[in-house]
Amino acid sequence: MPTTTRQRHARPAARRPRALRQVATIAIASLLLMIPASGAHASTLEVVATTPALAAIAAEVGGDHVRVRALASPSEDPHYVDARPNFISLLSRADVLLAHGLEYEVGWLPQLQVNSRNARVQVGGEGFVEVSRFVRLLDVPDGPIDRSMGDLHPGGNPHFLNDPRAAAGIAEGIVEVLSRRAPEHAQAFADNATRFAGELRSFAREQRSRFSALPASQRQVITYHKSMTYLLDWLDLELVETVEVRPGIPPSPAHVSRVLQRMRTSGARVILQEQFYPTNTSQRLAQLAGGEVVVIPGGPDHRGGEDYLSFLRRMTDALHDALDRS
Amino acid sequence: MIASPTRSLLSAVFVLWLTATGAPAASAIEHDPAPDEERLLLEALQADADREDDDPRAARSSSAAAAAFQSMNPDISVILDVAGAWFSDTDHLQTGAHDPVRNGFNLQQLEMGIESNVDPFLRFNAYLVFSAAGVEVEEAYATTLALPGRLQLRAGQFLHRFGRVNATHPHAWHFVDQSIVIGKFFGPEGSRGLGIEFSWLLPLPWFAEVLTTVSDPVGGCCARSFYGNENIELRTPAEFLFTSALRQFFPFSDSTSLLWGLSTQFGPNASGLGNRTAIYGTDLYLRYRPIASANRASLSLQTEWLVRSRQVPDDVLQDLGGYAQLVWQPRIRWETGLRYEFTSGVEDDPLDPEEDRERHRLAAQLTYYPSHFSRIRLQPFVDVPTWRADPIFGSFLALEVLVGAHGAHAF
Repeated sequence: MPTTTRQRHARPAARRPRALRQVATIAIASLLLMIPASGAHASTLEVVATTPALAAIAAEVGGDHVRVRALASPSEDPHYVDARPNFISLLSRADVLLAHGLEYEVGWLPQLQVNSRNARVQVGGEGFVEVSRFVRLLDVPDGPIDRSMGDLHPGGNPHFLNDPRAAAGIAEGIVEVLSRRAPEHAQAFADNATRFAGELRSFAREQRSRFSALPASQRQVITYHKSMTYLLDWLDLELVETVEVRPGIPPSPAHVSRVLQRMRTSGARVILQEQFYPTNTSQRLAQLAGGEVVVIPGGPDHRGGEDYLSFLRRMTDALHDALDRS
Repeated sequence: MIASPTRSLLSAVFVLWLTATGAPAASAIEHDPAPDEERLLLEALQADADREDDDPRAARSSSAAAAAFQSMNPDISVILDVAGAWFSDTDHLQTGAHDPVRNGFNLQQLEMGIESNVDPFLRFNAYLVFSAAGVEVEEAYATTLALPGRLQLRAGQFLHRFGRVNATHPHAWHFVDQSIVIGKFFGPEGSRGLGIEFSWLLPLPWFAEVLTTVSDPVGGCCARSFYGNENIELRTPAEFLFTSALRQFFPFSDSTSLLWGLSTQFGPNASGLGNRTAIYGTDLYLRYRPIASANRASLSLQTEWLVRSRQVPDDVLQDLGGYAQLVWQPRIRWETGLRYEFTSGVEDDPLDPEEDRERHRLAAQLTYYPSHFSRIRLQPFVDVPTWRADPIFGSFLALEVLVGAHGAHAF
C-alpha cells in the first residue's frame, strides 16, 4: 500500500555516507582502545576478589605479580552488594576471580560473571575459584533446612575470613589458580603462600592463648548475625545469643527481651558485630546490660593499603579490650 | 618363553615373599626414641595437628548434607504475586498482563524460574508464568558464556533489553503494575520476541555495552506497534524486528552512580504493506546508596522516555510516553516511592482509537519487607486520561513471596 511516509524514509539514506564515516570512526577508535587493554595482561595478573579480606589475602600471595581488586567494600554487607556494571568491566578483564562461595555472593555475582563474557571467570572456568573449598567449614546443616530457619547457607557458614586459620588454607589453596594463569611466577606464589600461612597460623595460636587466658565468664559474646562462628571457634569464645532472631530476620521486641535476659543471667557483656549491621538495638542492649558493642569492619581497608594481618590485629585488640573490661 | 599367566603368578609370589619378609625386618629395628628424636616427633605431630585443624576435607567428608547439596538439577524458584485491588471506575485502563485488573482479589502471576549452566559454553534461563489463563513461556533462552572478543549471543524467547524496565519481571519492579508506556507501545507483556541477540562489551575504561536483537515482530502481547496479532508471514529480512541499545555506566563514587541507556526498535507494522514503526528511547537510572549505611539505605531516580513513529496509510503518527520514579529505601525493611507517568496520545490511532489526548498517572507505594524473600505493598494511584470526563482512582495491596534459588538480578 503506497503511503506518503515512504518519502520520509528516503531522507536518512541521503545522510548515509556521513553516518557510515561516524560508525567507522567509532569502530577504529574502539579497536585501538582494545590494544592496550589486551596488552596489560602480559605483565601483571588481574585478580578480582569479591570481598576485601579475600583481596588482601590474594595480594599477599600474588605479591608484585598481581593487581588485586575487591568488589565489595569493608562497610558493605557481602550478601547485598549492588551488581554495579563497572564490576562487569572489571570481570571482563580479570584473569582470576576469587569468591567465598557457599551462596555468599549468590545475590549479585552470578549475573556479573555471565555478563562479563569472560570464559576464565565463569563457574568451571580456569580462573574462578570458590575459596570455601580450602576451609574447614562450620555450621554445615546436619539435617533438612528451609527458610523458616532464616537465610541459612546450605553448604555451611561463609563468614570464615575473620579466622586466620581459614585464611592460611586459602592462601595455600589459591596458589594453584594463580600459577595456572602465570606459571612463570608459580614458585614466588608458593613461597609467598607458605610464608603468609605460617604468619597466620602463628598469629592464630598467639591470639588463642591470649583470649584463653581470660576467665570463662569473660569469654562470652553476643553477636548480631551468625557471622562470627569461625572467629569464636578460633578464639575459644562462647556464643550466648544473636541479636537477630534468625539469620537475616531482624530482631523482634520479644527476642530482644530474651537476649537481654540471657545477657543478665550469663554475664555476657560484649556484643560483637560487623559495621554493616544496624547498631541501634545492640547499643540499647549493651546500655541496659551494662556492656558494650564492638563494631568491626567487614574486612581490611584493602584499597587504603591495610593488610590482612593488620585488620585481624585491629579486630582482636578491640575485642580483647572489651572482653577484658566486661 | 614363560606364558603370561605363569609370569603373573610368579610376580604375585615374589610380592608376597617381599611383604612377608619385610614385616619382621621392620620389627627388628624397634627401640625407644632418643630425647632429640622424641622432640622432633612431637613437633611433627603438633604441626600435623595444626594442619588437620585447617583441613577442609575433614569437615566436608563428615557432612552428608554437604554431599547432598551437590546436584546437577537446575536452580528452581517460584514467585507468587497476588493483590487486592480497588478501582473507582471498573472500566479502567490498566495495560499490563500481570496488573491487578478487577475489584477484589487478583492472581497477578505465579512465576517459575529455571536457571542453570548447560555446559562450559552456554547458560539456560526459562521463566514460566502460571495464571488464571493458563501457562505461558515468558522467557526461555540460552546465553553464551565463552565467546571471544567480549561478545555474547542470546537465543530463544526473551524480553528485549529496550530501556530499563522492559527486560525485567514484575518481582523486580518497584511498583505493583506495569508502566503505561510499556503496555501502550509494546504490549501487555512488554517488548518480547523469539530471536537472537548480539551484544558487545566495548573495550572502554567505563562500562559500555551495545546490543542488537533480531526477532519476529509478531504478537499482540509483545509487539503491538508492529505486526501485533496479525498473522503475517515474514517475506524479507527487513521484516524482522530490530532492537538496539547502548548502555553506559558512570560510577561517580562508591555510593553514587548513573546508568544511561539509548534504545531503538524498528520493524514493520500491520497498517499496510511496507509501513514501518520506529521507537526511540532513552533511560536514566541515578542511584545513591551510601555503602557505609548499615540500614542498606538507598535513593534511586529512574526515568525512561520513548518516542514512537508509525507509518500508517497517508500519514505518520508520532507520540511519546514515559515515566519518572523516585524510590527511597530508608531502612532494610521499608521502602517508599512515587511514580509519574505520561503518554501523549495521537488522533486516529488505529491501536488505541480512544486515546487521542494526554494521559497522566501518579502512584505512590509503601513497601514492607518481612524478609529478603517477601514483601507487602500498598499502592494508591490516580489515573487521568484527559479524553475522559473523570479521573480513575484506585489502590492495590499486594503480596509477593519467593521460594527456591532465584538468580541474581542486574543492576
